[in-house]
Amino acid sequence: MRLDSALRDARERGDPIVVPYLVVDRARHAGLSATVRALRGAGATALELGFPFSDPIADGPVLEAASDRALRGGTRWEDLRAAARAATAHLPSAAMTYANPVLRRGRERALAELASDGLSGLIVPDLSLEEAAPWRRASDRAGISLVLMAAPGGSAERVRSIATVSRGFLYVVSRYGTTGRSGTGSAVNLAPIVRAARRAAPDLPVLVGFGIRDRRTAERALDFGADGVVVGSALEEAIARDPDPESVGKWFAGLVPRPR
Amino acid sequence: MPRRYGPYGGAFVPETLVPALDELERTWRTARRDPGFRRELRRLSETLGGRPTPLYFARNLTRRGRGAEIWLKREDLLHTGAHKFNNALGQGLLARRMGKPRLIAETGAGQHGVATAMIGAALGLTTEVYMGEVDMERQKPNVERMRLLGATVVPVRTGSRTLKDAINAALRDWIANVRTTHYLLGSAVGPFPFPAIVADFQSVIGREIRWQSVRAFGRLPDLAVACVGGGSNAIGTFRPLLRTSVELLGVEAGGRPGSVGAASLSRGRPGVLHGTYSYLLQDEEGQVRETESVSAGLDYAGVGPEHAFLHDSGRARYVAVHDRDALAAFHWVAEDEGILPALEPSHAVYAAVREARRRPKGQHIVVTLSGRGDKDLGVVTAHAAR
Ligand SMILES: Cc1ncc(COP(=O)(O)O)c(C=O)c1O
Repeated sequence: MRLDSALRDARERGDPIVVPYLVVDRARHAGLSATVRALRGAGATALELGFPFSDPIADGPVLEAASDRALRGGTRWEDLRAAARAATAHLPSAAMTYANPVLRRGRERALAELASDGLSGLIVPDLSLEEAAPWRRASDRAGISLVLMAAPGGSAERVRSIATVSRGFLYVVSRYGTTGRSGTGSAVNLAPIVRAARRAAPDLPVLVGFGIRDRRTAERALDFGADGVVVGSALEEAIARDPDPESVGKWFAGLVPRPR
Repeated sequence: MPRRYGPYGGAFVPETLVPALDELERTWRTARRDPGFRRELRRLSETLGGRPTPLYFARNLTRRGRGAEIWLKREDLLHTGAHKFNNALGQGLLARRMGKPRLIAETGAGQHGVATAMIGAALGLTTEVYMGEVDMERQKPNVERMRLLGATVVPVRTGSRTLKDAINAALRDWIANVRTTHYLLGSAVGPFPFPAIVADFQSVIGREIRWQSVRAFGRLPDLAVACVGGGSNAIGTFRPLLRTSVELLGVEAGGRPGSVGAASLSRGRPGVLHGTYSYLLQDEEGQVRETESVSAGLDYAGVGPEHAFLHDSGRARYVAVHDRDALAAFHWVAEDEGILPALEPSHAVYAAVREARRRPKGQHIVVTLSGRGDKDLGVVTAHAAR
């Protein structure tokens, strides 16, 4: 199934959308299928596959270290493709990568490869609305949904523009800060962002990410009116503690919010 | 104020930073037209900074070249010892105008960190400076200077532990604290509007070169030379000379022979790092490469987007100079002229002397001596002992 339809279906059923984020790491490839199956069993709606980058400025210490470890272990673009083929057998998936690896590969070529490997979404954390136009055109041609991000501090008008251009879903950054637990990033009322997005794009699912680490933080995102959450650093930490797919699934199930 | 230079530039940043970049752009647009702001900038440039800096005829260096005359634009005489003052002062005043009580900065050689610490002290702003551990070790005197000026120096232990990683850390801090903090970026790199703003504040170098050379030798120089790390002293030198017939030469760090050094324009290809699309040292997978240079201030995988444009258009030329040649030039300037230059502009001096040899005696070359060498005594004496 494609990302768009999976999220829309869940939303129509009234199920909270929960999207785990896995760092692509060649050392973990053997266990990937089992992990993704376990996440699906635990209630995941879709998956994000994060391709490591040498300079991940939007990431906090946990994902930065995971990214660094994956690169030092020789993770390459081919590993993203292999991960995509393995994962999309179980869950509709999007790739998350910084702009440069895609540009270096050639944007059109990279998107075509990802589409042929079954991916249906792309998230680029350092792609602002101002730079998004050529990426949207190329993604549309490749049949990939380009997911844009909205964040606290932007005007309602800006959120509306972002929601209009975004495809697949709108990724709402939960607070001022990088991914993961952050000492300085303070909690923000996201309700106005969600409302602005709804007004501009009523059918676009809205997911909240950055700092979601348990059922409490996930449910707080839903309280703001969002349709679901993305879980990255906390999942990476859980996997580092115990990579056994069954344990990962159990941990993840404990985070999935109750339907409301 | 251009967002792009040909295909280069732009703002590839996490959405959280966009409102702050917009605010900075708006503030700068109004400030640059505000006579009060310009008066304050000028007053502090002169009375705190010591501008204008002299244009000095390097008679003995010229003799070494046995060709064109070599003139030094003495940014090393500026307060805090490098051209970084120009930009730190300007952006510090913008931060105050925006009402931001806190400054953060990255630094490689420590010169930008010292300049930011100085302006933080002068304007009463809290200052934190991110610096790679490798650079803290090799530019120790500047770490002490920053601390004495009241700044907190935050060691960066990720990646190659040099300038690139310090910028990553500063950007992450900014994302978390963007409402109260101005990121005082130290070179003509990063997302729009930084390259434009930094070039504006550094253009005082080229403007002074223009009138000083007319006063000193009756016309504009034939060639202007500057070193290129991120490219701020070079763009400040070049910008006011773009619409003249002066040849422009940018000098990158070549590292050791056989290494990539840090020569983004000579050896890289276009890509996105730290929010801008420009030349970049990267592998075939688009991962940024580790760089290598004897000079911490040039040890950076990227370069400002305007230089990428000037490179492609051919308006400026860019060459790489090896570590050992820059070290040789350091000693020439010291022994011939009695000036201890920083290792960064020593790269430019080497290239300038080489150019002077190829040119007739009637020509004039201006080299921007972007900083003084006190910070480099450890590195230089260690190399001399080998
Ligand atoms: C003295 C001096 N010159 C040059 C540079 C390189 O920076 P840029 O290329 O921005 O002028 C530095 C950077 O730290 C420096 O300290």
